[in-house]
Amino acid sequence: MIIAIISGKGGVGKTTATANIGLGIAMNGRKCVVVDFDIGQRNLDMILGLENRVVYDMVQVMDGEATLQQGLIKSKSNENLFFLAASQTKDKSVLDSVKIKQLIDELSAQFEYVILDAPAGIESGYEHTIEFADSAIVIVNPEVSSIRDSDRAIGILDSKSQKVKDGEEVDKYLVINRIIPEMVQSGDMLSSEDILEILNIKLLGKVAEDKGVIEASNQGTPIILDPKSIAGAAYQRIASRLCGDNIPIEEPTVLTKGFVGKIKGMFS
Amino acid sequence: MNFPWNKKKSSASVAKDRLRIAIMTDKQNENYPFMEDLKRDIIEVVKKYIEVRDIDIKKEADGEFEALSIDVQVKEK
Repeated sequence: MIIAIISGKGGVGKTTATANIGLGIAMNGRKCVVVDFDIGQRNLDMILGLENRVVYDMVQVMDGEATLQQGLIKSKSNENLFFLAASQTKDKSVLDSVKIKQLIDELSAQFEYVILDAPAGIESGYEHTIEFADSAIVIVNPEVSSIRDSDRAIGILDSKSQKVKDGEEVDKYLVINRIIPEMVQSGDMLSSEDILEILNIKLLGKVAEDKGVIEASNQGTPIILDPKSIAGAAYQRIASRLCGDNIPIEEPTVLTKGFVGKIKGMFS
Repeated sequence: MNFPWNKKKSSASVAKDRLRIAIMTDKQNENYPFMEDLKRDIIEVVKKYIEVRDIDIKKEADGEFEALSIDVQVKEK
């Protein structure tokens, strides 16, 4: 299965989501590769804690300067997860449909799940990433500009992907990231229902705002490795759903305050 | 809590209304996916009769109506 992770706007946690979803799938015992398509802005290697192991990048592999086996980097935390780095020196114009198709075909022969971290924005780099994807996971924040840009990214997916050109449909799934339950409760943040109504695609999961995500990226150990964390547990459920498990969607809850806090909350 | 004297509209519902309108407008401004192909075909047809300099196709939306405006610039003799 070839899955593109997209967002429209940048800074919504797309790369963090890619790392955690990829690792989560691997933790479910499936062979998985994550590819950083954000040419010129290598990021996924840091989140995965693999920045010191990058020797060859995906552009070098596509151009035949390195073999795929040379380019693939094995994850430190799970033997089922591999990573292919973005090029830092080249720009997005080096991407070419024929070479991308060849790379993706080679990867899907070796891996059950091929996950592509798309660049933010909707220019050529984005279009190339979604071109050969079977499905797309849209990462959105409960915030107006993120939702609007996601809608545009979904529109391009629906017109530019090869699957759509062949008369099929690309599966689209939504992950709502950085939910602050207290704000949703007080009516100051769009609820998941509101967002789904506007974007009209299937919901894959909800991830609450979690400070642990920053600590995890500081250390290069994706938060899914901490199953007790709020975001880690949410990503585990998302990954299991992608592996076919039927796990109901959980609404992030407001952490229970003491009695006085509750009374205060009623009047705020 | 929602007391009757607390009439301030929640900011989430303001956001939802604004988004609905913004996304509807974005969609109207977008081109049809077949625009480039259409342009090429029109050039082919018109070229049989007269030399074409450029063709400009625009999708225009006004409320419920959508119009396709095609502007063909021919070469001067």
